[in-house]
Amino acid sequence: MTTAVEFLNVSRHFGSIRAVDGVNLNIAEGTFFAMLGPSGSGKTTCLRLISGFEQPTGGQIRIFGQDCSGVPPNRRNVNTVFQDYALFPHMNVRDNVAYGLMVKGVDKRTRLSRADELLALVKLDHHGSRKPGELSGGQRQRVALARALINEPRVLLLDEPLGALDLKLREAMQDELKALQKRLGITFVFVTHDQGEALSMADQVAVFSEGQIAQIGTPAEIYEKPRTRFVADFVGSSNVLSAEMAAGFGAPARPASLRPEAVRIVDEDARVRGQVQALRYLGSGTRVVVAVPGGELSVFVTKGLPVPAQGAEVGLGWDAQAMHPMEQG
Amino acid sequence: MTLAADPARDTVHPSGAILPARGLGDRVSAVFWRHPNVLLATLLALPLLWLVVVYLGSLAALLLQSFYSIDEFSGQIRREFTLSTYAELLRPANMDIIVRTVAMSAAVTLGAVIIAFPIAYFAARYARGHWKALFYLGVMLPLWSSYLVKVYAWKLILAREGIITWATDGIGASAVLNGILALPVIGGNSLSTSYIGTWLVFLYVWLPYMILPMQAALERVPQSMLEASSDLGASRWQTMRTVVFPLALPGIIAGSIFTFSLTMGDYIIPQIVGSSRRFIGQAVYQLQGTAGNIPLAAAFAVIPIVIMLIYLTIARRKGAFDAL
Repeated sequence: MTTAVEFLNVSRHFGSIRAVDGVNLNIAEGTFFAMLGPSGSGKTTCLRLISGFEQPTGGQIRIFGQDCSGVPPNRRNVNTVFQDYALFPHMNVRDNVAYGLMVKGVDKRTRLSRADELLALVKLDHHGSRKPGELSGGQRQRVALARALINEPRVLLLDEPLGALDLKLREAMQDELKALQKRLGITFVFVTHDQGEALSMADQVAVFSEGQIAQIGTPAEIYEKPRTRFVADFVGSSNVLSAEMAAGFGAPARPASLRPEAVRIVDEDARVRGQVQALRYLGSGTRVVVAVPGGELSVFVTKGLPVPAQGAEVGLGWDAQAMHPMEQG
Repeated sequence: MTLAADPARDTVHPSGAILPARGLGDRVSAVFWRHPNVLLATLLALPLLWLVVVYLGSLAALLLQSFYSIDEFSGQIRREFTLSTYAELLRPANMDIIVRTVAMSAAVTLGAVIIAFPIAYFAARYARGHWKALFYLGVMLPLWSSYLVKVYAWKLILAREGIITWATDGIGASAVLNGILALPVIGGNSLSTSYIGTWLVFLYVWLPYMILPMQAALERVPQSMLEASSDLGASRWQTMRTVVFPLALPGIIAGSIFTFSLTMGDYIIPQIVGSSRRFIGQAVYQLQGTAGNIPLAAAFAVIPIVIMLIYLTIARRKGAFDAL
């Protein structure tokens, strides 16, 4: 499989701040790749390094095998959907979408008809003559998408593209983006701080922490086999057991993650017993926090199953393989 | 309850749902809250009085005057509606004044746009913290000193015995200076007695009025918009032409209204620096003073207003305010 984007020990330091610090990365062509991390973790800087708005202070970035050092953004065959969409307010929607072709010198008729095709692709056929200011947030997002696709980029970069949308619209756009990516076959690199979004959309996820990649893998790998405490904490909410606790449950003496939904409330064969500390209703179920010797464990009780009362004594059980040993630290 | 029994506590933490008014201020602000229109009227009364009565009123009086005429023999103003005063503007000597003033205003505006743009662009895009403060200081500083002092200072700078002549002599470039002064129309005996000199001084005096609105307009263009343009393949020049310039245009127009109308109305600079040929401002000054021809002075004063209206109409038609 061809590598679309390759980071070779890439760093981007701003003075003493190491925004990106020695990142190695391979993004295969045609994948939907998510860069996931909290704000300030370096994910957006990585995206800007690909688009060319930032230059690495160390290492090398290759796009389809070509070294991009010193190549300005306008000469890179990648396009970006900006977080604030960055639509040109003085141009109508069609001219916004056709902009990439206009600056290439494509004649007016060709570029406008191509813009109409792309507007149809994002289901905005009849909005071409409007100004961006007259559109809703979701519509603007589609225009930004169409505008970024008109140059037929080899890699499409999306910087928190759904961040400004409300929940319902965001979920609809997630499905659409995913379908669009499948249909076009373009490599999508997607920056988000929303772990649910990353898990549900991406083929591959890179979890960023403090300028470095904490883990790269498929969503299932990231979720089920977090490599570090940070990943376990950030992706979903996990029980992180200390090395001693893990050893006490017969696992290797290393910190381990245990997903709340893997824990069951049992009467017999309990691995551990404890007192219910807190209950949190989540709609699809209830999160029960149980105080156990050495710490606390969260248990996710699916809707329909009996929920213990606050202060009750309960026994907890789980399959041995649900406990995933992690690296120290 | 023990809480309610303590009167001292009761005043600090009153137990009722509605707090007592603390005085006249609270009562007035409650009235404003209940009647927002009263607040608006209170705020606008004085400015509106000024704008409508003093400002627009005198403008109307001026307009009215321009439709009167002067009796050639008695020198008295004839208060009858006539267009003969405007017809007088068309006399070659008066047309010369108008054309000269408009051409100078246009040249000053153009020069100001060219010089102000890089300064405003730097201030809006790059200057942060101390640099920004320095920028504002640098732009405003000339406005702190008297206009007359600056103009006379320029007269000395531009004079034949002035520093420019001395400096060009010093670097052996006096041929260039003489070449410039030998140019027809805009040249002259020295910089201080030529149109070039007048233009330079106008440019210097009005430049801040171009920089500030331009900077404000450029500041409102988000960085991501420039990045989007270059991301889509635009060169820097294309970005400048198709994104930055159209978005800065309202600011440029605002600045040009200042430079254009200030130049058109000024009568001091051309009197101190330049050839002795008259500009509209000087004509108005002389007509309403020594000549006592108020109607013709008024007619002259209407010209800048008409030109600005035409200018703004064209700008609007061309979509200059679309980005607002």
